Amino acid sequence: MSHEEFIPLAERKHLREKQIKKHNIANILTHWFNAGAGALLVLTGLGILFSPRLGIVPDIWLEFVRNVFGGTANLITFHYTVGLIWMAVMTFNILVGFRKYFIPFARNRMMLDKDDIEWLKVKPLQMLGFVKDKPLPPQDAYNAGQKIYSYVVVVGALLIGFTGVIMTFHQLVPWPWLLQWALPVHFGAMGMIFAGWIIHVYMGAVFPEEKEAFFSMFTGKVSALYARLHHSKWYWRYVTEEAEWEDSVLEKGRQLQEEAAGAD
Amino acid sequence: MAFQGPNLTRREFFKVASASAGALAVSQFVPPRVAKAAMRSGILDADGDGYIPTMCEMCVWRCGVLAKVKEGRVVKLEGNPDHPHSKGRLCARGQSGLMTTYDPDRVLKPLIRVGPRGGGQFREASWDEALDLAAESMLQLKNQYGPEAMIFSSTHNLSQVQFENLLNAYGSPNYGTQRSLCFNAMVTAFSLTYGVEEPARDYDNVEFILLIGRNLLEAISTSETAALVEAVARSAKLVVLDPRFTKTAGKADEWIPIRPGTDSAFLLAMIQVIVSEELADCDFVKQYVVGCDGIIDAMSEFTPEWAEAKTGVPADTIRRIAREYAAAKHNALAHPGWRTSNFINSFQTERAIATLNALSGNVLTPGGCLIAENPEAAGVPLGKPPQPPYPRTTSLRLDGVPWRYPLVPLKLGIFQELRDAILSGEPYQAKGWFISRQNPVLSIPDRAKTIEAMSKMECIIDVDVIMNDTAWFADIVLPEASYLERYDPLMALEGKVFIRQPVIEPQGDARSALWIYKQLGERLGLGDFFQYEDEEDYLRQQLAPFWVDLEILKTRGYVEPDAQREEEPEITFNTPSGKIEVYCETLGNAGFSPWPTWEEPTAPGPNEFYLLTGKVGQHTQTATQNNLFLHQVEDKPRMWIHPKPAEARGIKNNDWVLVSSPIGQIEIQAFVTEGIRPDCVYMTVGYGHISKGLTTAYGHGSSDSDLHVTYTDPISGGQALSQTYVTVEKA
Amino acid sequence: MADKKRYGFVIDVERCIDCRACLVACRAENDVEIPYTRIWVRDLGLKGEFPELSRTYVPYNCMHCEEPPCVDVCTSGATYKDQETGLVLVDQDACIGCGFCVDACPYDARHLDKTRGVVDKCNACAQRVEMGRAPACVATCLGESRLFGDLNDPESDVSKALKEAKSVQRLVTEDVNPGPNIYYIHGDVMESGVLPREPRYTAAETFWRKLAIPAVAAGVGLSFLGQAAFFTKQLLEGEKEFEE
Repeated sequence: MSHEEFIPLAERKHLREKQIKKHNIANILTHWFNAGAGALLVLTGLGILFSPRLGIVPDIWLEFVRNVFGGTANLITFHYTVGLIWMAVMTFNILVGFRKYFIPFARNRMMLDKDDIEWLKVKPLQMLGFVKDKPLPPQDAYNAGQKIYSYVVVVGALLIGFTGVIMTFHQLVPWPWLLQWALPVHFGAMGMIFAGWIIHVYMGAVFPEEKEAFFSMFTGKVSALYARLHHSKWYWRYVTEEAEWEDSVLEKGRQLQEEAAGAD
Repeated sequence: MAFQGPNLTRREFFKVASASAGALAVSQFVPPRVAKAAMRSGILDADGDGYIPTMCEMCVWRCGVLAKVKEGRVVKLEGNPDHPHSKGRLCARGQSGLMTTYDPDRVLKPLIRVGPRGGGQFREASWDEALDLAAESMLQLKNQYGPEAMIFSSTHNLSQVQFENLLNAYGSPNYGTQRSLCFNAMVTAFSLTYGVEEPARDYDNVEFILLIGRNLLEAISTSETAALVEAVARSAKLVVLDPRFTKTAGKADEWIPIRPGTDSAFLLAMIQVIVSEELADCDFVKQYVVGCDGIIDAMSEFTPEWAEAKTGVPADTIRRIAREYAAAKHNALAHPGWRTSNFINSFQTERAIATLNALSGNVLTPGGCLIAENPEAAGVPLGKPPQPPYPRTTSLRLDGVPWRYPLVPLKLGIFQELRDAILSGEPYQAKGWFISRQNPVLSIPDRAKTIEAMSKMECIIDVDVIMNDTAWFADIVLPEASYLERYDPLMALEGKVFIRQPVIEPQGDARSALWIYKQLGERLGLGDFFQYEDEEDYLRQQLAPFWVDLEILKTRGYVEPDAQREEEPEITFNTPSGKIEVYCETLGNAGFSPWPTWEEPTAPGPNEFYLLTGKVGQHTQTATQNNLFLHQVEDKPRMWIHPKPAEARGIKNNDWVLVSSPIGQIEIQAFVTEGIRPDCVYMTVGYGHISKGLTTAYGHGSSDSDLHVTYTDPISGGQALSQTYVTVEKA
Repeated sequence: MADKKRYGFVIDVERCIDCRACLVACRAENDVEIPYTRIWVRDLGLKGEFPELSRTYVPYNCMHCEEPPCVDVCTSGATYKDQETGLVLVDQDACIGCGFCVDACPYDARHLDKTRGVVDKCNACAQRVEMGRAPACVATCLGESRLFGDLNDPESDVSKALKEAKSVQRLVTEDVNPGPNIYYIHGDVMESGVLPREPRYTAAETFWRKLAIPAVAAGVGLSFLGQAAFFTKQLLEGEKEFEE
């Protein structure tokens, strides 16, 4: 569709069969942990919002969720407990292995470079059916759109966490205005992430081009063809590293052979 | 070690209080002794929760209380519906009793002074040490100077009977009650006129109420205050004579801002109208009253016109009120008053009130609104422990009763004279002072003199619940348990006998007065006068005539023994003639006017004000200013002044002003209000504490005792607190 | 057949003597932290000129309104109008201490207890009412000025008092009438010092209602519509077998 490179058939078949690792186990677990916690938090969080004047959530959900938890107090306790656990786990995940996992992850998969900016200008137009001929710049493991979403998530999560802590420990907060503003900010940040999440789910799971992406979130792997077509910057870096690694293995074998021959 | 109450918040103190009360952590709940007993008798359930009946002590009205106890702590106080003084309700002070018991400034261990007197430096001691020291001092004083050198003063406690026992057994004649600062005028007048100290009031059918002062809606006596409100709501007419627009005046049909010191003129004129216009049923009244024949002549000069000149009240008003009063017949009440220590002529005011009531026939008619009997006695003769006769005391009383003041009842005395005699050393020098439930440093006029009097003492022993101002100057402080933590002798009221019993364990080492007096008595070699084992044994001896089990009394809170109420005999009065003595020969023989009469009071000079003082519904005299609950609901202590004189002195609302009297000066904030005569200023009593052991009360507001000049009425011994005149200027 | 109770107060104004026993009783019964208070006795001030003077006291607390603005604005539903009794109550375990309700109450009858971080107010001593006893303030009132009971029950003290009263007022204005359930009899209490104000909504609450919610709704709506459009397009185009 939007990828210019033409790959001959035989190579294409070979590439399709070859699987490369896109997501390590940490990524996968963190992703699904976020998804699960997020689901619980959104559902219970919305369930807390009883105010008739705000009128956000339908009564049926409000009644149901209170019945399930046996009252508003328990519901709130559950919500902030999950929230605090989520924050603790995320903090742990990021800090432990900060250098080995997080820094490279952030550098390649979160930071926007020139190609990303260009992509952001071209891709949306193409999706609407315009400028189909323009070539899309090469993308890293996460394309620019995904990177933008990651910003939404990070900023949103920080806001939600910060305001969430304020509300959880409201007894210790001496400024009522801080509590009062924490509420709409918490809600707004959640809404922001939720809006982006709808697109994230569609693009990741439903959109036909990205089918492999969805499964990769379980297996960790994508086919080399997919990688080369959609995330070429990452692919070629991977291939280079793979080649280097193969070379080093071969070199090692040769050395061992020579040593064995010399020993005879 | 300087005295420092624990610096705790209320929540923390509850924890400490319950810990020291013996209630351990919830997981190991071991019910303390009181709770165990209450659980056995069923008043508390298995968790130690429930209601224990007892009596309040936040003022002298002593309402019945149901104390709610939860896990070894008292958490709420309710009025006991069966008690005639509360009828199920408690005033602000009654409700605040929790904070008096749990006040962080409570004295919970005996204290012995270590620094200079008034320096507040005490060390904690055991009961043995403190009591031994106290007894040793008292014996040494007795041996060296005679028992009369020891003054015993206490105000009005349920344990008063044992206090008097100690005093009498020790052999001192010097008994200082605070009564002369309060109601000597009333009691003396009514004793002489009716033979009853304080006639009871009944508002059920009253149609016309005349209050002379008696700020019932602020100087609250729970059931009587409620009865007054009820009567007014029922459309009884209320007329209030008061130089100040009190809350009682606020509910009156007519408020008469009478010139201070002239109440008796108003009342004498009323009497004159009633007798000259023959509005009283003379024939009926004649049978019971001495003086019906001569009264018209005796009152002839006290016309309403004459009274108008004295009081500032129009003659027509006086005449009309007299006629309205008389028209209500035996449903008209001229209230005897309570604190009647206003002017030297307050005694005559009381005599006039007694006369008015006699003329209306209310005290002579069953169902009338005044009853010539003391409700507290009411036909229930309580038992008491046996004891030998008291030693004779031959020395004169320091307060001049009866040798200088022949008509003052012995059990009232004249407190301010006692204080002055300590200073003068005449007729002999007092050397020791035993004080219990009383705060003379703040209550006697002229605080500086009282403190100076204390410097003459070799030994001052004080029994109190908290480090009040008098305890601050004491040598030995003996901690009494608060009223929620102790037994006191039983109280008889309207045919019922009520108990005060501990609802929680006494905190710290605090003990009941019954125990303290006995312990002291024994160490003084007077054990024979205290023949009871412990408090419960004492109560059992009190109940002995009635065959009632103490346990039943503890459970129900009261019993109603079948006292023989005889058939209403002929109405008589406990006077020499057996009748109401409007014409009182006793007075005549003592050299005073036998008729109620007019005595010209003094008056302030051109730049001076009458200094009025009074009570509020949120405090009790000098005792409650440290109570945190009451502190929250009190009015800021300020001096009331009318806008005209305020403006003339450049004083605006809340400005600080200097108020000076002949003996002292205070600084206080002004409250500019239309609700007071322009020639008067007013301040609420009880503030201005100087004890640093009272965290909340120390330094809060100013004390009237720094301004009041000491005057004594020669007939009743009463103080004349409103005869102090002050100047006011912007500070 | 009055199944639903409507608990409320009747205050006989001429019987109130401003003794403040009610204030102390409430604090003791409900463990109210100093310096907060759940109830008041308002002094309308000395009126007139010496010696023609008068004074009125107005006992005052949460009005347990029929249409309480506080319930309307409560974020978590911690405050609610009890179905059975009609009392407006606060479940303090569910209160998150945002304080929107404090500003919303036209009578300023609620306060944020900073020591506990939750909102507190008169609950008509529901714990006593449950046991068939009067609220602490009513039980102790010396003048029998405070009355409490079921306004829907014609035999209750409050209903009888209202019927026999010579004058009845409630603290409402033309603009503000949330249906308070405290009735004042035998006194004129309609003065600015005690009349209600308009409910106030804090900046944060207004921001939330007027900005944040519409923004989120728009954002979520747009995303949803966006993906719905593409998904529809996808469905229309049909499954492509050989996709890359």
